[in-house]
Amino acid sequence: MSLLQVDKLTVHYPGQPLPALQQVSLGLSPDELLVALGPSGCGKSTLLNVLAGFIAPTHGTVQFDGKPVSGPGAERAVVFQNDGLLPWLDVAGNVAFGLKLQGVPAAQRAAIVADTLQQVGLADAGGKRVWELSGGMRQRVGIARALASQSRVLLMDEPFGALDAFTREQMQQLLLNVWQRSQRGVFLITHDIEEALFLATSLVLMSPGPGRIVQYLRPTFSQRFLAGESVRAIKSDPEFITLREELLASLTRTQHEEAA
Amino acid sequence: MSQQEHVLPVPTAPAARQRTWGIRPLAPWQWSSLSIGSLLLLWWALSASGLVPALFLPSPAAVLTKLQSLVVQGYMEATLQQHLLASLQRMLLALLAAVGIGVPLGILIGVFPLLRHWLDPIIEFYRPLPPLAYLPLIVIWFGIGEVSKVLLIFLAILAPVLIATTHGVASVHSIRQQAALSLGASRGQLLRHVILPGALPDILTGIRIGLGAGWSTLVAAELIAATRGLGFMIQSAAQFLGTDIVVLGIIAIALVAFVLELGLRRLQRVLTPWHGKAL
Repeated sequence: MSLLQVDKLTVHYPGQPLPALQQVSLGLSPDELLVALGPSGCGKSTLLNVLAGFIAPTHGTVQFDGKPVSGPGAERAVVFQNDGLLPWLDVAGNVAFGLKLQGVPAAQRAAIVADTLQQVGLADAGGKRVWELSGGMRQRVGIARALASQSRVLLMDEPFGALDAFTREQMQQLLLNVWQRSQRGVFLITHDIEEALFLATSLVLMSPGPGRIVQYLRPTFSQRFLAGESVRAIKSDPEFITLREELLASLTRTQHEEAA
Repeated sequence: MSQQEHVLPVPTAPAARQRTWGIRPLAPWQWSSLSIGSLLLLWWALSASGLVPALFLPSPAAVLTKLQSLVVQGYMEATLQQHLLASLQRMLLALLAAVGIGVPLGILIGVFPLLRHWLDPIIEFYRPLPPLAYLPLIVIWFGIGEVSKVLLIFLAILAPVLIATTHGVASVHSIRQQAALSLGASRGQLLRHVILPGALPDILTGIRIGLGAGWSTLVAAELIAATRGLGFMIQSAAQFLGTDIVVLGIIAIALVAFVLELGLRRLQRVLTPWHGKAL
């Protein structure tokens, strides 16, 4: 059963010849890690912004737990590429921010924050200033902030796009571990094919002009990682490589069609 | 050739520092002290040589003696401290009013851009005017009492505070606002926890600039039938050719401005340590 349900969603920005999204339908269930993969202009950011409630649909419906989405809300926490952390709060203050907004008592807040920081590997960093952190650590704080708030799904906007390759792979593994423990649905957008294949339990391939879904996949690599297989073994598995090349070919084809 | 190169000793790298072109490196404060010192020396030389009559430029020693009598006996029925206090009180009142009105108004303008189009012409009309130009109007409208003096200083502080606050609110990162909204922030919480702290560095900069502008309006404000104040002291001394008191007044005004500036910079570092950091 889908927690977040999108039906025939069309978003048309004023003054644009083509819709950013056309007739997109998908559902996110609580145990799913759904990845939208596509080149820039395919509408994946627009899709995330509609799910977050920052942009209203032109046509179609977006429902959370059976109720229409009418704006941003605490049940759908967003993790941004540029973390959006608050520099006047320390790391613990940032992670506690959502709970504070919801009026959770301080003692309870502290316990949740400690537990969440532990999960993202920042157990000792609670007192640090956010500008003292590296990009990867800031992204961990961003994830911890979304996890600590009592959100039921996480919406991740190219969360690792600004990180170096090594840190990015670390963060992908961290995300899978955190996702498995949190029992929350995750919707993540990326233009990185390997990242999409490695993380997704469901994958939608999107294409520009107008933005739409062109392919649905159900990769199993994240389950294999969580079952104990190493990340290098998975990413060098011929099955992984074949799928990666197919997706790349498919992306290239749609780009050519658009150019033609 | 190449064999010889192997024999050549590897040049020892000198400790990294900036080129100084042979000038012995001095700390910034040492340069500043040197600059002030040479100015004092020039002053002393000019008056001691008798090139400039004492009426135009009293000697440093004469000014020091006058300082003592100003502190102990005073001038125009008030000591230097009392003149200083009177000026500082006016400044403080004007500052409180300017911050109390400028910051909330700036936030309103930042949040409701339509308001900006309405207020912008008014602010941009009066902001570049020299205070001496509208001083007569203020006296005609508000009399020669304390209100007019504070009002003049208030107007000088208000514009920079208002403009800086508006700018600060408008430049709060939209991602931070979206993040707070997606964590369930209400409009009020967004204002209190994200927009206000986000605009604080700009607000403090506005106050810094405003204080400078206000302080330089002080002399004009104390043209209005004052009986106390540093500006008043300078003007009345000038009428009796009391050059030594004029010089003392100028130094006092400059020193206070310097201390205010340092204090505010300090405050800015303490309150907004993230300001200027890459985020």
